[in-house]
Amino acid sequence: MSADKSHKIGFIATLVVVGVGAFAFTMGFYVLPSAGPSDTIWQRMCRGAGFVLTLPGGPRQVAPPTFTSVVVPHDVFGIGTAEQIGHGATLALRCTVCHGAHGLSGADAPNLAGQYPEVIYKQLLDYQRGARTDPVMNAMAASLTNDNVLDLTHYYASLQREKTDLPLADAPALVRVGDPIRNIAPCASCHGTADRKKGAPSLSGEPKAYLNAQLSAFASGSRKNDANADMRSVARGLSDADRSAVANYYAGISQ
Amino acid sequence: MIKARHLILAHFWSAFIVFFGAILFGEWQMLVRSPLHAWVNIPEHYYRSVTGHGTALAYVFPTLIAMGFGYAIVELALKQALIGLRWAWGAFGLVVAGALLAVATVASGAASVLYTFYPPLIGSPFYYIGVVLVVVGSWIWVALMAVNLRAWRKANVGQPIPLAMYAAVAGAYLWAWTAVGAALEILLQILPVALGFRDTIDAGLARVLFSWTLHAIVYFWLMPTYIAFYVIVPRAIGGRLYSDVMARLSFVLFLVFSMPIGVHHLFMDPEVGSGFKYVHSVFTGMVAIPTLLTVFTICASVEIAARLRGGHGLLGWLRALPWKNPVMLALAFSFTMLGFGGAGGLINMSYQLDSTIHNTQWITGHFHLIFAGAIVIMYFVIAYDLWPHLTGRALGNSALIRLQLWLWFIGTLIMTLPWHVAGLLGMPRRMAYFDYSNPAIAPQAWTVTAAVVGGSLMVASGALFLWVLLRAQRGPRVELPPYRFSVPIHAVVSVPKALNGFAVWVTLMIALTVANYGVPIFHLLSQKTNVPAVFSY
Repeated sequence: MSADKSHKIGFIATLVVVGVGAFAFTMGFYVLPSAGPSDTIWQRMCRGAGFVLTLPGGPRQVAPPTFTSVVVPHDVFGIGTAEQIGHGATLALRCTVCHGAHGLSGADAPNLAGQYPEVIYKQLLDYQRGARTDPVMNAMAASLTNDNVLDLTHYYASLQREKTDLPLADAPALVRVGDPIRNIAPCASCHGTADRKKGAPSLSGEPKAYLNAQLSAFASGSRKNDANADMRSVARGLSDADRSAVANYYAGISQ
Repeated sequence: MIKARHLILAHFWSAFIVFFGAILFGEWQMLVRSPLHAWVNIPEHYYRSVTGHGTALAYVFPTLIAMGFGYAIVELALKQALIGLRWAWGAFGLVVAGALLAVATVASGAASVLYTFYPPLIGSPFYYIGVVLVVVGSWIWVALMAVNLRAWRKANVGQPIPLAMYAAVAGAYLWAWTAVGAALEILLQILPVALGFRDTIDAGLARVLFSWTLHAIVYFWLMPTYIAFYVIVPRAIGGRLYSDVMARLSFVLFLVFSMPIGVHHLFMDPEVGSGFKYVHSVFTGMVAIPTLLTVFTICASVEIAARLRGGHGLLGWLRALPWKNPVMLALAFSFTMLGFGGAGGLINMSYQLDSTIHNTQWITGHFHLIFAGAIVIMYFVIAYDLWPHLTGRALGNSALIRLQLWLWFIGTLIMTLPWHVAGLLGMPRRMAYFDYSNPAIAPQAWTVTAAVVGGSLMVASGALFLWVLLRAQRGPRVELPPYRFSVPIHAVVSVPKALNGFAVWVTLMIALTVANYGVPIFHLLSQKTNVPAVFSY
């Protein structure tokens, strides 16, 4: 075939591609995103491209979010230094009334001994910033510096947890397999035994009253510092009996 | 015999071992989520299995096939020894090492993130490093294909590049550019988080970058199949290729159109503008053209074969086709599945229709029908066709091969068509189990049971396939005529310059990618919509 003809194939193909492109872009950025004849080309193009347009009357007023704003830095996941743990032990003296001398509560407050560091870190910051509310804890957390938070985190994480292994075979169905038709994921998928997702607390050995209260608070929406509303979605689908069964299991109370 | 046969056999054997292991996991997944089995007690095991299945079959298996087949084409089509044999072995080593690393990490439970990665979910860095090694190995293959073609062109100035090589290099270039999206996502977004340098990740941007790879990767899987359609099938059934130019045009059109269309995977994504969704939808329609060209050309080639065998009449020639020839059978099966899969694809590319089946079992049905069905059945043909030339031994009886192909075909249909129904009924994909005792979803239970049955036929077929290959390695030695690819009706004296090179097509490919992806990517980059990473281990 001659050079002229070969030149033609490339040229025609380019023309077709440009033609299809021109059609697609005209439809996608001019014809379809039109909101009426008063629309300017610029408005239509921005809308088509997904850019946020300023609405008439100025930008929309949005209430400040009340959910969690905590990003756990990667270094929190590791083990703290001896110095951090020592500082933490001193700071923790003011926590002992509720959380116990070694992080094991006798007062139905959560046991903190051996809790994952990222969990303690996030909850302290959520209390400090008001994303989680509790009259005592908001006050306690208010004056903590970031170093204080890290020291406390690593201190409690370094303590021995009360209970470690709860046999999965004995767990209620909700813990093992959830309930798919109610869109309830298994507790064990995030909170351990079957699998653990970083950021989800260990629940084994936590007081039953505390677990029950938190599930109720998530269900009613009075607690809302769970990222992506994961726990609120799960808790809303649970009946009183479900909550009790799950709380009993994690508290180590046999059924 | 083929000089690089050890290299090619190493690729094929590794590919098919990975393939068989991965389909066993696939069958297990279908079993545990079916009414035939109690719920899997640890759902994590299900997701671990899904991740392993996807990683092995999406990244490792087709890449090894494309690489092995590509090296064979260099030697058989260009009639020159493979330049860079050591590099090729090195690339093979990288792919195997990467695959082992990734799969071992998944098996340990440290990376149940599914093969599509899904940030902000983050797994162990070893998983991503494994995937990167596989891709780097395949990029060496891309370079070797280019180097070998260049050497041939130097020695054969002005000659038309043999069709098989032209198509294989088009596939290599397609892969090189396709893989860039996921590579950027892994190297710039995921790995820094997985390694602990950053704590947040822009999930929307990651989805857009992955979509760059996610659709075109299917055409990379498809390339060896299409090459087999054009350069193996007409010869194997005793016919001629209808048009060499049409074949070249199909391959370069894939190069141009398979890239700027990935956003149709993100139709439901609020972070991409509707205008770009529309544009990508239009170009997804365009990518049907090279497939239609192929169906036309191959049907015409098959008709030529039938008429050469004495077939006549408007459709009467169909009877004259060599139906006992496994290649003919596989082609008919592949086209049937491509037809069903293509029809489903038209629904996926239409915004409104897609919204009814988005993220349902329909999608799983669709891509298994296309990949496991239409594509993989031709991988079997490639292996069967090359095996005697790689081993120097006879392949054995063709009845067994026909049985293997029938099992695969029937199994794929029984598995995938009910999945489409399940999707229309609203069954979400990626679920470890369902409560079929609930009346609301009880009518869907049979679809999952059917999938288990279909899957078991596929496993049987896979085992049979390995057995045929293994037996052939010990079969009687044969003296074979030199291997040859299909010949077109009209001898190829010269081809249009544009279809004897890639400059125009690679330029169009890059230009369209920039036009269709440039703004969405830079828009998301400027938005800084990072979210905290969620660690899965």
